[in-house]
Amino acid sequence: MGRYIMRRLMWMLLVLFLISLITFAMEHAVPGGPFDREKKLPAEIIANLEERYHLDEPYWKQYALYLYDVLVPRITRQKPTSMAEETMINVKLGGNYYLRWMNFGPSYTSRSRTVNDIIREQLPVSIQLGLISMLIALVIGLPMGILAALKQNTILDYLGMSVAIFGVSVPVVAMGPVLVWIFGVTLRWLPPTGWGAKPPYLLFFIPRGIFSWGFWRYAIMPAFAVGTGFSAIIARLSRASLLQVIHEDYIRTARAKGLSERVVMVRHALRNSLIPVVTILGPMFAAVLTGLFVVESVFGIPGLGKYFITSITNRDYPVIMGTILLYAIFVVIANVVVDITYAWLDPRIRYE
Amino acid sequence: MFSKKWSVLVVALIVSTLLAACAAPTPEVVTVEVTKVVEGETVVEVVTATPPPPPQEMRPNILYLNFGPGDVPTIDPALSTDTSSVQVVDEISVGLTRLNEVSLALEPGMAESWDVSEDGLTYVFHLRQGIPWVRWNGSAVEEVLDCEGNVRYVKAQDFDYGIKRTGNPDTASDYAYVLGFAIEGFNELNAAEGWADLTAEEKQVLLDGVAATALDDYTLEVTFTTPAIYNLNIIGLWVAHAQPRWIIDGDDCTTARGDRWTEPGFNQSYGPYVLKEWIHDSSLTIVKNTLWPGIDSVPVPQVDEIRFAMLDASPAFAEYEAGNLDSTGVPLADMDRVKADPVLSQELTIAPSGCTYYYGYNTSKPPMDNVHMRRALSHAVDRQGLVDNVTKGGQEPAQWFCRPGMAACPTMQDHPDTGIKSDPEAAKAELQAYLDDMGFTSIDQIPEIVLMYNTSEGHKRIAEAIAEMWKETLGIQVTVTNQEWKVYLKTLQEDSPQVWRLGWCLDYPDANNWTREVFAIGGNEETATQWRNETFTKICEDAAVEMDPVKRQDMYAQAEQIMVYEDAAIIPIYWYTIVNVTKPYVNRTYSQHGHEAYEKWSLDLELE
Repeated sequence: MGRYIMRRLMWMLLVLFLISLITFAMEHAVPGGPFDREKKLPAEIIANLEERYHLDEPYWKQYALYLYDVLVPRITRQKPTSMAEETMINVKLGGNYYLRWMNFGPSYTSRSRTVNDIIREQLPVSIQLGLISMLIALVIGLPMGILAALKQNTILDYLGMSVAIFGVSVPVVAMGPVLVWIFGVTLRWLPPTGWGAKPPYLLFFIPRGIFSWGFWRYAIMPAFAVGTGFSAIIARLSRASLLQVIHEDYIRTARAKGLSERVVMVRHALRNSLIPVVTILGPMFAAVLTGLFVVESVFGIPGLGKYFITSITNRDYPVIMGTILLYAIFVVIANVVVDITYAWLDPRIRYE
Repeated sequence: MFSKKWSVLVVALIVSTLLAACAAPTPEVVTVEVTKVVEGETVVEVVTATPPPPPQEMRPNILYLNFGPGDVPTIDPALSTDTSSVQVVDEISVGLTRLNEVSLALEPGMAESWDVSEDGLTYVFHLRQGIPWVRWNGSAVEEVLDCEGNVRYVKAQDFDYGIKRTGNPDTASDYAYVLGFAIEGFNELNAAEGWADLTAEEKQVLLDGVAATALDDYTLEVTFTTPAIYNLNIIGLWVAHAQPRWIIDGDDCTTARGDRWTEPGFNQSYGPYVLKEWIHDSSLTIVKNTLWPGIDSVPVPQVDEIRFAMLDASPAFAEYEAGNLDSTGVPLADMDRVKADPVLSQELTIAPSGCTYYYGYNTSKPPMDNVHMRRALSHAVDRQGLVDNVTKGGQEPAQWFCRPGMAACPTMQDHPDTGIKSDPEAAKAELQAYLDDMGFTSIDQIPEIVLMYNTSEGHKRIAEAIAEMWKETLGIQVTVTNQEWKVYLKTLQEDSPQVWRLGWCLDYPDANNWTREVFAIGGNEETATQWRNETFTKICEDAAVEMDPVKRQDMYAQAEQIMVYEDAAIIPIYWYTIVNVTKPYVNRTYSQHGHEAYEKWSLDLELE
């Protein structure tokens, strides 16, 4: 298993390299540049800006410089003063020496921040919201799907699936403002927008006030809005999957052996039926943890999601690169976790 | 006798203090001693009375506002270009001159007074003394000290440094070009060829060549390229604010913070407010600078703290309705509801704002190469109808480009018949003139007209409405299409369609920034319009150095007449307004130049 994971991670490096290459090619192939404005900038101003960000270099060199900045660790004596030298990993080695590694570059739009700053400050918020939302999605979705499958064609099934259809078909963009209107504006139970945690975070993403109402009052509405949407997908999938498994031969065998219905369901049916659910959970987690544009916009949450959109409309090349690579890392890791979970769910699956 | 009266007062005071102290939250009838002064004598009576109501709870003296979605890009004066960045910069620092946000009149800022040379090119600014650099130290505003422990005051050298830092190619300021065409030697620095390869001495020569020099601690001499009337506006812009060299470049006792100097904790400034907190992408807070002495144009602020959220229009409006924001814009979707709502409609204001919405023609592409065709389309736009039914924000139908209210821009009072008006009959006549010119017998022979806008719901509605007006009035069917913003900008520069849309907002409130900088030969949209008129350009150039304001305005009216009517190179559509709701307890001003002067706002602190 260890070797398998290692091999997957090595593949990940290759995947990331290819993604960065494709992203780089595509972002430069799209017409328009970061300094095209409604008020056209004079040529000399654009020249200064391009020189500052090395955009006047040939493409291959720009790409090489990017890879160099991200990949090659450096040991320096002085502390950086310029944002251009800012790195993600900054370890004091002793004496006056620093190990500095992973510089994802500046942001052209936000002149006061780097891509590293954006990841450090916005990704934790997205992870917090994502984890809470997925927890809600699982806690509601799984039992609902299982119950609907076990009580197929009863009132419980119809009710559960109606709720699920509703959840799938009412997107956050519609549900969000309604929640804000009811609980934020009319009843004033919850703040309509905002997020209840700010940097610094514990262990990169845990808010300091995790057990305080001050944090949760902000999280409830957006997490619920996202969570119910995904719970509907999970419910429908787990119901369909469980129904299929229940009619398999080995379930009949288990019943014929005289096992109790409970054991049949929990040990034999449920575990097997979870495989398709886990399969979609991987990419779902990766997407949710790296931020969701719509929910962030509706609830005014300072997450990473909006950078996936705004960086492209602004042609903010380093931010495009940084967010895409980050998302790719999450997807690849999520898929490795999914594969490992398969082996645990179905003992027949072995990775060697 | 006199001392007796005093003792009476003292007793009265003590009693009333006791009363206040005893005041219970629930009113109840109590027996108290009341001291009265009757003809100079003191009488103490015992009466029953209701104690005064308990001291009212006060509203915190904090103003809650919204900046719009996304982080404030920067608060570095040299790098700011967008509204929210400039808004913060203008509150935490003050230029040599300051623009009155309501009257758009030029007022003294950090410069108390100035002398102008005979030729109108060289200005000597005399700075105010005793205004300290300050920072927020985590609990209070404190003065910044230099290496000897003395207070650092804002000096001419800080302006000298600020202007040159903006021009330094290493700074790569987006907005440096505004100073570039105005200050002698500035463009030579900013546009220096091969700057990176120059030696330190060569760089220093270019830096010294910028004609902004500190003669002594409180005197700054600036030489401009032209004796233009708007020079004083330009020198007051944020890119020419004083900047703290020691915190940016470092000195003997200060660590250099480089481009991180704008972060809270490092940031130093000197305006009516001070940066307190900046949670990127979430909120930014400024607090009253208790050391700001207050000057005529920039008084001592009355609001203790201002918190800016960073929300989209609709969530911000929800926060306003929930009572968590004190003022915000009104989303188009909520406009009808706000106008109908008895409370919200009272809080609604529509104020003019310094922007123009217009369509341009590519005057080299048929059929737009014919002036009758261009005039026909422009006449056929029902501007009032568009404002009433589509944009709904009380915008003003525009007859020309330059926004009235800007210095020297024609106004509707003085020039009611200048420019082009919505006139279906004139439109039809012009169309006929076009057909006659071309020898066409039917409108079907007109080449295809493409109307392009950048992808956005608002622009789409306007484009579709105008296309419909053209179809109804003239029978001309245009192709309406759109492109993503950056692609669109590229298209305008390379091969603009027959009709395209853009907007323009002021940099400084002078007609020069409008009519000339955008449409004169060498102006911003020369490529997109393909329109080059030498008479027009000459009038604009002459107007820039004309000193008589009435004559100046007439000259711009004449120029506009050429551009929007005689040559009809663009279709002016409407002048922007700001549609805002503000809580009744906020006493505010309405800025016409896009940045508010919060030091002039106040809050009624007593809860109703």
